[in-house]
Amino acid sequence: MSLYAILQGFDDVLTEVLMAMSPVLVLFLIFLLVFKLPKKMLLSLLQGVLFAFAGLALFLQGVHVGFLPVGNEMGAIIGALPNRWILIPLGFLLGFVATMAEPAVRILSDQVEKSSSGSIRSNTILYTLCLAVGIFIALGMTRIVYGIPFYYIIIPGYLLAIILMIFSKPSFTSIAFDSGGVATGPMTVTFIMAMAVGAADRIAGRDAVIDGFGLIALVALAPIIMVMLLGFLYPDDNQDDDNDEKNPEGLPAEIEDNIEADTSLHSHGEMPTDPSPEDGQDLEADSQNISYQDNNEDAKSSQGKEVKDNDRDSQA
Amino acid sequence: MIKDVKEILFEVLQAIIPIVVVVSLIQFFVIRTPIDLFWQFIAGAVMVTAGLFLFLVGVRVSLLPIGEMIGSEVTSHGSLVFLLVAAFIFGFVITVAEPDVRVLSHQVDIASRGAIESNILIVAVALGVGLFVSLAILRILLGIPIFYLLTAGYVLIVILSFFTPPAFVAISFDAGGVTTGPMAVPFILALGVGATAVLGGKSTVSDTFGLIGLASIGPVLSVMILGVIFG
Repeated sequence: MSLYAILQGFDDVLTEVLMAMSPVLVLFLIFLLVFKLPKKMLLSLLQGVLFAFAGLALFLQGVHVGFLPVGNEMGAIIGALPNRWILIPLGFLLGFVATMAEPAVRILSDQVEKSSSGSIRSNTILYTLCLAVGIFIALGMTRIVYGIPFYYIIIPGYLLAIILMIFSKPSFTSIAFDSGGVATGPMTVTFIMAMAVGAADRIAGRDAVIDGFGLIALVALAPIIMVMLLGFLYPDDNQDDDNDEKNPEGLPAEIEDNIEADTSLHSHGEMPTDPSPEDGQDLEADSQNISYQDNNEDAKSSQGKEVKDNDRDSQA
Repeated sequence: MIKDVKEILFEVLQAIIPIVVVVSLIQFFVIRTPIDLFWQFIAGAVMVTAGLFLFLVGVRVSLLPIGEMIGSEVTSHGSLVFLLVAAFIFGFVITVAEPDVRVLSHQVDIASRGAIESNILIVAVALGVGLFVSLAILRILLGIPIFYLLTAGYVLIVILSFFTPPAFVAISFDAGGVTTGPMAVPFILALGVGATAVLGGKSTVSDTFGLIGLASIGPVLSVMILGVIFG
């Protein structure tokens, strides 16, 4: 391996990253000046852009010289094999491992455990999600190996998501749709996609563009469907029904603390917020419409929410 | 801050090492790619790790707090129109800098041998995200139930997919998945929190829900439309 192989095309990457990062820099700079924010923010902005610039350049270069060519090559080698069906179990394995490794998936699992009041263990959810993503990738690979049109998989998938949304509990639906991205981390997007494209390119009768893509969409769909399905396992109780009636918009009080976790889920880094005792009280007050809490703030906020929801109801 | 940096490093290693191990196992036991190429993969993995780490540190430690501050200034000073325009520009600019979007469009460029140019795809995806982020903000302000929009968006995608040229179908669905990357998600959520604050006083955290779901519908539609125009 020569140094040239690693540095190949780095000038193009630098130009690309410059084009990618400069709009952020300019936009933020304008806002900082317009709103006359403290000077120290300017320094922080410069520092952040510099880090992000260097990081994005290294990342893209690593992907271009390492992940994409090896993924493409592995896919192409398998595509040329007589027993190219091994792409299917390999896809499953890679999908399973990549999902297991994705930090956001762990946070999602904790979050689902919380909204099922602990009746579904977070490890169960984690493995279910890994299995689901693995199966969906295997399905995507099957499609490439046997030339099944993408429509036949994605359209039923989307329709299933719509149907599940109608029947699913609102608290689970909310988590489901925002969690679409948890498993589509940089690993899936780089290596697994490259392998699929490489295979589709090599197998006779397949087209790299028509047949090679679509895996990311399937990986995004898997958690949406799985989270809503998991919601059905969680036995109905009165509390949930109450919420459904009171919030026609379909946002039960439970969501309030779900969303907190949601924010951390998507920022990838932060750990999920522990359910604090206050949250629990708030939830109870909301669902039973009782506001005799020690903490007046809590009572007020749940009333405020109620009023707002009614407002919305009349608008909608 | 040091704690954040450590956490980010741990998170990046946790995501990359397992994949490198599995790929190495495949290399040695299942399919052998040329050994030079494999070493290139290892070098690439080191670069990806370092790059992702630096990128996330820059975004989370510096850029995100600034974004949040700007978000709250925009929402407290501006009119509705200003807020929507700002949301559009934010969504657009953030998507242009999103690593996952770059990787997808690069791979599409290679696979289509230049027929679907990388920059055009990125602009289409960014337009879709920008438009749907401001739509999502509008729905928060008007109080339109999220489920109506999600259902409408999904149904529209299913219908439009029948008119999209075959080369663009899979790519457009993929475009919806790459917008939920390490750059876009925290920024879009921050914007939503800012917008809900405008609703007046009380925190309505639950309203930010659906932003990500909606934001990933936009690019699917915009790339499909791109396909209809080009195909």
